[in-house]
Amino acid sequence: MFFRVIPKREIPDLVRGLAHEFEVVGPVAKGESFVFAPLTDPSELRLDYDTTLLPAKQWFFPASETLMRFRVADNAVVDDSVDVTPRVLFGLHPCDVNSLLLMDNVFLGDDPDPYYKARRDNTLIVGLSCMPTDTCFCDAWGTDETHWGFDIFLSEIGDDYYASIRSVKGAEVVDRYVTGREVTEEDTAAFQARTASFKAAFASDIDTSQLPVLLDAKYDSGIWAELGDLCLSCGACSMVCPTCHCFDVHDELEADQTHGTRVRTWDSCMFRDFAEVAHGNFREVRAARVRYRYYHKQWGYLSRFERVLCVGCGRCTRACKAHIDPPRVVRALQTGVVDR
Amino acid sequence: MAPRVVVLSLASDFGCQVQLSNMTDEILDVLGLIDLSYWQLASSGHMPDAYDVAIVEGAVTTDEHVALLESVRATAGVVIAIGACANTGGIPGLANLLDLDERYGVVYGDGDGPRVAAGRRAPMPLDSVIAVDYHVPGCPIDPPEFLRVLSRVLLGLKNRVPDLTMCASCKINETVCFFDRGELCLGLVTRAGCGARCPSLNRPCTGCRGIAPDANLVAARAISIASGRPEGALDDALRIYNTAKEVRG
Repeated sequence: MFFRVIPKREIPDLVRGLAHEFEVVGPVAKGESFVFAPLTDPSELRLDYDTTLLPAKQWFFPASETLMRFRVADNAVVDDSVDVTPRVLFGLHPCDVNSLLLMDNVFLGDDPDPYYKARRDNTLIVGLSCMPTDTCFCDAWGTDETHWGFDIFLSEIGDDYYASIRSVKGAEVVDRYVTGREVTEEDTAAFQARTASFKAAFASDIDTSQLPVLLDAKYDSGIWAELGDLCLSCGACSMVCPTCHCFDVHDELEADQTHGTRVRTWDSCMFRDFAEVAHGNFREVRAARVRYRYYHKQWGYLSRFERVLCVGCGRCTRACKAHIDPPRVVRALQTGVVDR
Repeated sequence: MAPRVVVLSLASDFGCQVQLSNMTDEILDVLGLIDLSYWQLASSGHMPDAYDVAIVEGAVTTDEHVALLESVRATAGVVIAIGACANTGGIPGLANLLDLDERYGVVYGDGDGPRVAAGRRAPMPLDSVIAVDYHVPGCPIDPPEFLRVLSRVLLGLKNRVPDLTMCASCKINETVCFFDRGELCLGLVTRAGCGARCPSLNRPCTGCRGIAPDANLVAARAISIASGRPEGALDDALRIYNTAKEVRG
């Protein structure tokens, strides 16, 4: 890794430059909220955003994507190409950069998913420092920092960004499109001070002590039934989650019924039919589904990849009308009581 | 042999049949696959005696409707209910909230009402009278969904209507939640499948697709109250499309 100081005023140059080579996607305003969307002009970029409605996963694993088109008469695949628009995701906070690393474990393992991989290989990641909001709890999982998974990471220091450059591609675009300057000891001190104030700003006090043990020991706890009674089974939590990756695959025929497409769509373990199989449904009740979600995220994935499958971005906290989120569930596990 | 199809209407505004005629990009493809024997909106002839598939819109509101449906069921191998009226009783179903004798009097004059409206029934969805094989809910129906269902009919695949609620679709659309804007939205409990079209066009969901089997009404009522609505507000709002279903069960 090496470093440059990039004045904030040079960011529009960087974005304009990147736009020659890539589709540049960054946070833009949508009503009072923000979304990641392709930029048509650097002025749309809102680097002061708090969080986005949907996370960055949609740019690698879209909510709905065509895997292939086929001909009905002989079951032949007529098109299985993957959209590989070269793209930059500009301005991902540390939680979101970390979420992609967690998704990589799932999609880029022994048998990589060609759709996800093609997009991942063709996407540059520009990270961005942030300040915690009242729904952030990335500090609980250590995902408030990231040292991998980006090409460039911009940490705000006054009128400049302290840019960490992690990849050759990242270095190339910085060289090509911004002037910047060498980092001084003062800049690094400012970066450290910035980090300290970031860490001090967290309001969350989520106690994750012995969480896997508690999940097993409290498998039959009444908290799950209580949470199940509150849950709307709407799946909003899974849709907005940057690490939820379950999908459904189905075929749709075109109007003339001669060709069809195989489509992959986001799914959720909150949906009743998610666990419906030939002999019945193995998670028929809401309580079982809520419990499963937390088991998978905080224990199942952990036992396989040594990280929990949550980055504390707080999107579920904002999206869930029933206020079921990791801080509340972890508190319930610690205390045995679901807060009202 | 292409399946012989009839399209007919009970109590409704024919809006769903209009939606079928709005499928300008696909209708010629569809017509190539079926033998359209009768289309109430577009035909001047009569219902044939024999057909394979019956596409029915509208609520059941008279004894005549019941007799017609019984004959349809005895004739057709497949019955498809299209639209809110046919699937939940829809807007006609609101009449279940009223004293029908009194209302007919208001409309047709004292004394004459019951006579003029002889054979009337409290409006009900199709499946309160006959078994329905496929459902395309919504007011009006969504042509792409209708085509997906028709495709399943032609292939002999079973009915597959989403049981889940609307919220996931809104998240995918990145629609800012109406509850976060201080407005009630029935997507919280309404059956998905339309892609949350109204919210994406800046209108809260009005529940035209019916209450989702997986909806948690108890939790949704509590959320409505916690968001500052009076008690009963959610159920009141649901009535417009869901009164008949509510009355029925």
